[in-house]
Formats: sequence, structure tokens, C-alpha cells
Amino acid sequence: MSLTETVQQARRRDLRIPLAAVLVVIALAAPYIGSRYVTHSLIIALIFMLPAHGLNLLVGYTGLLSLAQAAFFGIGAYTAGLLAVTYGTPFYVNLIAAGVVSGAIALPLGIPALRLRSTSFVMCTLGFVIIGQAISKNWVSLTRGDMGLSGIPKPYFELGPLSFSVSGTTNFYYLALAIGALATFAAWAIVRSPAGRNMVAIRENETLAESLGVPTWHYKLIVFMLSAVFAGIGGCLYAYYLTVVSPLTFQMYYSTTMLIIVLGGGAGMISGTVFGSLLFVGLTEALRITPELRMIAYGFCLLVLVFWFKKGFAPLINRFWNVIGGVK
Amino acid sequence: MLSTVLEQVVNGIVTGSVYAIVAVGMTMIFGVLRAINFAHGEYYMLGTFGAWFAVDYLGLSYEASIVVGILATIVVAYVVGQLVMRRMVGAPAESGVLATLGIALILQNAVIFVFGGGYKFFSGGYIEPISILGFSLAQQRILILVVCLVVFVGLELMVTYSRLGMAMRAVSQNVECCEVVGIDVPQVVLRTFILGAALAALSGVLTAPVNVSVYGGMGELITFKTLPIIIMGGLGNVRGTFFAAMILGIAESLVATYVGLQFRDTVGFATLILVLMWRPYGLFSTQARF
Amino acid sequence: MTVPLPLLEIKNLTKSYGAVKAVADVSIHIDRGEIAGLIGPNGSGKSTFFDCSTGLARPDAGTVILDGQDITGWSLNRIAREGRMLRSFQKTVTFKALDVEENLIIAGQMFTFPSIAATFGLGKRSRSRIDGLRERARELIKMAGLWDVRHQPAGNLSGGQQKLIQFASMLMPEPKLILLDEPMAGINPKIIERVVDTILYANRSLGVSFLVIEHNIDVVTSICQRVIVLDQGAKLVEGLPHDIVQDQRVREAYLGG
Ligand SMILES: Nc1ncnc2c1ncn2[C@@H]1O[C@H](COP(=O)(O)OP(=O)(O)OP(=O)(O)O)[C@@H](O)[C@H]1O
Ligand SMILES: [Mg+2]
Repeated sequence: MSLTETVQQARRRDLRIPLAAVLVVIALAAPYIGSRYVTHSLIIALIFMLPAHGLNLLVGYTGLLSLAQAAFFGIGAYTAGLLAVTYGTPFYVNLIAAGVVSGAIALPLGIPALRLRSTSFVMCTLGFVIIGQAISKNWVSLTRGDMGLSGIPKPYFELGPLSFSVSGTTNFYYLALAIGALATFAAWAIVRSPAGRNMVAIRENETLAESLGVPTWHYKLIVFMLSAVFAGIGGCLYAYYLTVVSPLTFQMYYSTTMLIIVLGGGAGMISGTVFGSLLFVGLTEALRITPELRMIAYGFCLLVLVFWFKKGFAPLINRFWNVIGGVK
Repeated sequence: MLSTVLEQVVNGIVTGSVYAIVAVGMTMIFGVLRAINFAHGEYYMLGTFGAWFAVDYLGLSYEASIVVGILATIVVAYVVGQLVMRRMVGAPAESGVLATLGIALILQNAVIFVFGGGYKFFSGGYIEPISILGFSLAQQRILILVVCLVVFVGLELMVTYSRLGMAMRAVSQNVECCEVVGIDVPQVVLRTFILGAALAALSGVLTAPVNVSVYGGMGELITFKTLPIIIMGGLGNVRGTFFAAMILGIAESLVATYVGLQFRDTVGFATLILVLMWRPYGLFSTQARF
Repeated sequence: MTVPLPLLEIKNLTKSYGAVKAVADVSIHIDRGEIAGLIGPNGSGKSTFFDCSTGLARPDAGTVILDGQDITGWSLNRIAREGRMLRSFQKTVTFKALDVEENLIIAGQMFTFPSIAATFGLGKRSRSRIDGLRERARELIKMAGLWDVRHQPAGNLSGGQQKLIQFASMLMPEPKLILLDEPMAGINPKIIERVVDTILYANRSLGVSFLVIEHNIDVVTSICQRVIVLDQGAKLVEGLPHDIVQDQRVREAYLGG
């Protein structure tokens, strides 16, 4: 756990800076190392990493198991898609709007849902996905129903006199990488802040946290909204990447995917989520597994994670960080 | 006007019966395991597929296909029960959610992988309409109603008088005590689970002639409909489940007629969310009651 | 001459669970600087009385006045944060996955940061606040004799050590009043001494008042200035410790007369 300091023993060399440099170089060079399909797989992994970061704040740090992530992912996708298609607003406006709208919708949904405990909460959040899909199918005047929104333009920037579009897989990759890096930093900043400590306190023992003055209800609501912001931003990128948004964006399967990323990578650690999205989304995408086989594999992943591999890759990643950080 | 309303209500009761047979298994599993089985609808799907396979590939009669569908499901449920459900005894609620979500993914996609994702046509069953009291109703629907009643009366008797039923009640009251007095809790869980899965399969094979289409994703839809029912029925409560299923069936059929067909499948979750807000522990009781 | 306002005044507190009247019309007060004891047989409603006074449970009737302010109906976290009245739980609880130091820092955070928004900060101000808390935490850890295990997860420590963590956590926010629910139950005599010393230290040097539920009658008579006795949800008597020990009614209540 990132918040539990390990006992400091004989220090070895601190390799964090060289490691960061290597990672940056690999991330930047990736489109030129691998094939176009690898770049595509990395883009998908980066897109799913965003809602997964949000989910990690909720599940890994605050201890709330939620399936609602796909709903906010869909809301973000539709918000960005509608703005881009109808008003032609620049990409960054739509990106921010997608996050803000998802976060804002999370408030009225979170207030009743967070009153529920464990399984009831899970089911309620599942309900949000199902109802989101029904609304996107049936509010035809807004969403064009089953047809979905198509023809979302390339991400378009307008910065003062400069205006340009991001076109091509490689350039989109850099865009996704930049947003992914920012989101990872944001998630890291949140969990490193005193609020992050309060979130862990809520996960460990809500009543005790409450008795020590932590307004648990407010924190849970804020984290639920933050998780939706992350998901909304991911949805926006997804809409731009696919250039279409359909009611299928509201899929329980997406929520499951995000859960596997978080739990498999190691809940309650930021690097776990990054690793999880590369492993569970990037790798399966790159291997071109058929959707059915992938879902079967995900199913087995869930079983393995629940019964045998409870902490996911967290212990491994922790050991890795200790070696890198110079702690024996 | 009134007669169409009445007709919709009768249709709703038939749909409600289909849901009730599935949901009662799910609620009993909750009773002994304290976990929601998110894969429960998949056994409904397996039953239907088994029957479809028997009719289409093996050329068996509908009656025989019922047996095939249910037996196939029981075999799968036995394996899943031995490997997964038994391990869920005493595990935290979240583990149950994740494990059964995993099973749902595996079962659904394994079937799609083997048989393809397209819609299949189910031929068979008693679809001849007969008229009673001025209504014209397919025989199959009457069969569903009758079976539903038989199932619920049978379950009431079983839960009250049989050894398994008594063990189920005991486990749902207090797992630790059961272990102390020597009830084999995992065994009770396994049997309850197989019984529930078999009932879901029964519901599937009975409904197949009415629904006609058979496809891999059908189980998920049923899971989504039974979840609200068992919550509204008060988790673990057999009678509450029966009434909640009927209410949902009728509500769906009225909404489909008077609001719009496309809203039918959301009725359940919309009511569920409202009910959860209003009474976080369900409508009929706060505790498991068989 | 005006009589000083009591620090905590609870009037006619009542709470039922179904047919059980767990607390029936109990009125008490705690003076500034006082250590008061709350005793009574098992099931006499002591813990429920705490729950209703601190906002964990909602009383059916009655008022709670802290420092002249009516706090009835406030939530547990608000009473802790704004009222600086803290409580411990009968069943020892700590943040098990976090180390001792983090446990104490969490206890101080909401009293150091002015708002929820401020807790999301990572800047210099935020860091210096946390550094201050860490320093204070270390002092308390030393005082509680947990220095050697300060980097161990709380869940790995013994029950007695966890009780000490719980107690030290409550001293983090400079409280006015602490309600302790059986702080000595199930710990060895050496740690009992340590807890007693810490209570007396907090009382004398930090000016914290206490209301202590305790079954260990020796401890109660040695540290409490006044003892309140509950029986079957109602207040039986209150008075000086040695009078209470002699009281016939109290003896009967304990013997289940
Ligand atoms: N949450 C609850 N639900 C139902 N009854 C409760 C609840 N909490 C307490 N009670 C009942 O209220 C009564 C008082 O319990 P309480 O825990 O306050 O006693 P106590 O004095 O703290 O006992 P002990 O010395 O054993 O800790 C008991 O009869 C108990 O059964
Ligand atoms: Mg008590």
C-alpha cells in the first residue's frame, strides 16, 4: 500500500529517475517500435486507463465496489460527441465538458446510491448503466437512438492563432498519452493528498474515520464524482477515437473490464492501474483475441482474482518499487 | 378498453411466472450464501440452449428437450457449484459479486463461442391458442402458469418439511451455528444452488416456445430482471419474490402497451432504484425468510 | 458568584431498540477538567448512552449540550470535529492496514485542515500541516510506548497496543472531552498502568475532561472524581467513588438482585 511506509533498511541506489527516463523514452518511441496495430492497442489501453483510475479511487482507496463506471464513460462519450457534431467546439472544450457533465450527473445519482451498503450499492450502480443505455436508445431526438452519433471529427485544437487537427493513429496516440499522463498524475496527487489518507481511512473503517472527525459522507460523494470525471474524460477520448458513439457504450462489460484492470493490476495503487490497463486491455487487444474468448478470459481472471490471486499484481509491483526506490 | 387492460394483466402474470421461477432460485441462493448470483440468468439461457439443441440437432420432441435442457444445466451447475459457489461460503459480499460476474461472462461467451452470436429459432412447444373465459391464450402460457404454481407450492412444502429445506433455513439463519451442530454448509449451498439453477433452466425451456428466439445474451437480460425482483421481494424471501415477480410482470406488460415497448426492459431497474431509495432492505421483509 | 457552565450536559436521554429500553431518561453532566466514571452491569445501556451522546445513534428523546451549544442530532463526525468531543469504541478498532503513525495522522487531519477542499491540497501549506501532525503523532507515540512499532501496520499489533493507538489517536486533535468505552478491558496490568497514566497526564497537562466506562472498579475509584451508575437503562445513583462502592443499591444491581 502506497500509504504504508515500509521499514527503511540499508539503502541501495535510487533508480527512480533513470526508470522514469526509460519509461518516457519507451512511451514516446512506442509508435515507431511496434506496428500500427500495437499503437492502436496502446491507445485503447490508455483510454480504458482513465475510467480505471477513477474506479481505483473508488474501489481501491475508498472501498466502494461500483459498476457505474460504464455509465459515466457513456455520458462522457455522448457529451463530447454531441458537442463535436452539433456545435463543432474544439477538442479540449469537449474534453472538459465531458468530465464536468459526468461529474455533475454523478452528484444526483451518488446521493441516493451511496446510502446503500455493499451489494445493494453494487446493484444500484449496475442499474445506472442499464438505465443509461435505455435513455441513449430511446431519447432519439438527442442521441439519435440505436443509430448513434457518427462523423465525430478529428480532435481539433484552436489555441489563439494556431488551429490544427490531430490526425492519424500515431498522433492520436500522443494525444492519448498526454491525457493519460495528466490523469495519472491527477490520480496520484489525489491519493497522496491528506484527502487520500482520509479515503483509505474510510476503506479501512468507516465508523472509526467518522469518529475522528472525517466527514465520510462528503468524501464518498466527492470521490464518486471524481471517479465519474475520470470516466467521462475517458469516454470523450473513446468517442473521438472511434468517431462514433452508440448506446453500446453503456455496457456492463466495460464496467467489468475496468474492474479487472483495477483489481488485477492491484487495487489501491496508481501504478497498478497503469500496469493493469496495459496488461488486460492493451495485451488482449494486441493479441487480437476474438471478443468471446476475451470475455471468457476476463471471466476466469475475475475468478482467479477473487479466490487465488486476491491482491492482483500489487505485491509484485510493490516489490518492484522497493527495488527501484533503493529499499531492500 | 377494459378487456385489453385485463388481457395485458393476464400476459403480465404469465411473464411474472417466468420471472418468479427464475428469481426464486436466486433468492434461495442468497438465503444460504448471502451473495447475489449475478450469473443466475445464464442458467435460464443454458436451459433454453440445451432444449434448442435437443430439438434442432438431435431431433427430439419438445417434452424430451425439456429434460435435456434441465439435465445439461444441472451438469454445468454442479461443476460451477463444486468449483466456485462452495468457496463463497463466508466470503465477503464483494467477492460473491465479482465471482458470479466472472461466471456469467464465461457461460455466456462460451455458448456464443460454440453456437455463434446470432438469433436462433426455437420450434416446438404447445403454441395452439385456446380460449378460456373469453380470452384466447396459448396453451404454453397456461402451462407456464400451472408450473409456476406447482413450483411454489412444492418449494413451500420442501422448505417446511424436507431435510434439505430445513438445512437451508438453518443455514440462512446462522452459518456459524450450523457448522457447530454439524450441518455441512457447503453441501447445502451446493444443493440449493443446483436446485436454483435447475429452476432457472426449467423457466427457460418453458418460455422458449413463447419467445421463439434463442441467443447467447438472453441470460443477462433475465439476470437484470430478476435482480430487482429479489430485492423488492426482500432478499431470501420466497413468497415476497413471488409477489414481486408478478408485480414486475404486470408492470412491464402495461408499460409496453401504454408507454412504449422500448421502455419495458427498464421498468425493473427503475423501480428497483426507487425501492432501494425508499426501503434499502426491500419491500417485504428485512431478513431471509423461507 | 455564578456557577460555571458544565462542559457537557445531557438531559433526559432516551433510546429504545424495539421493546428494549436501552437508555431511559438519563440526565448527567460533566464539569470542566473532571474525570467521571460511568459504571453499570452488562447490558445496562452504557455503550448505547455513548452512542446517543456522540451522534453514532439517534436518541429517541433528550438533548445534548456541549459547551453551551445544543448538539443534539449532529452527526458523529461533526460532534468530533466542531465539538471536540471524541469517543472510543468498546470493540477496539484501528485502521488495520495502516501503520501506527498514519493512524494518528488521520486522527489529526480534520482538525488541522480548515475545509474538505483544503485536504486535497498537495502544496507547501498542506505539507507543513502534515509535518506538524507527524511531529505531534511521534510525541504521542513515544508517550504511549509504541515507538518501536510505529511503522508496523496497526493490525499486526496486540489488542492492548491497539487500544493504546486508539487512545493516542483521540489525543491528536486537542480534544475538550473524551468518552472512553472500557479502555482497560482485556489488556494486561502493565498496559493498564500506562493507560491510567496517560489519562491522568491528558487530564492534568492538556486539560481534557473524561467520561470513562469501566468495569475495573479499582481503576474507577482511583482516577474518577465522580461516578454515575446505570442500571437497566436508567440512572441509579451518582456520587463520590467510595460512596458508590458502599452503596447497597449498586451492589444489588451488580448481583442482579
Ligand atoms: N443496535 C442494537 N440493536 C438492538 N438492541 C441493542 C442495540 N445496541 C444495544 N442494544 C441493547 O441495548 C441494551 C444496552 O446495551 P449496551 O451495549 O448499551 O450495554 P452496556 O451497558 O454497554 O453493556 P456492556 O457492559 O456489556 O458493554 C442491551 O439490552 C442490548 O441488547
Ligand atoms: Mg458496552
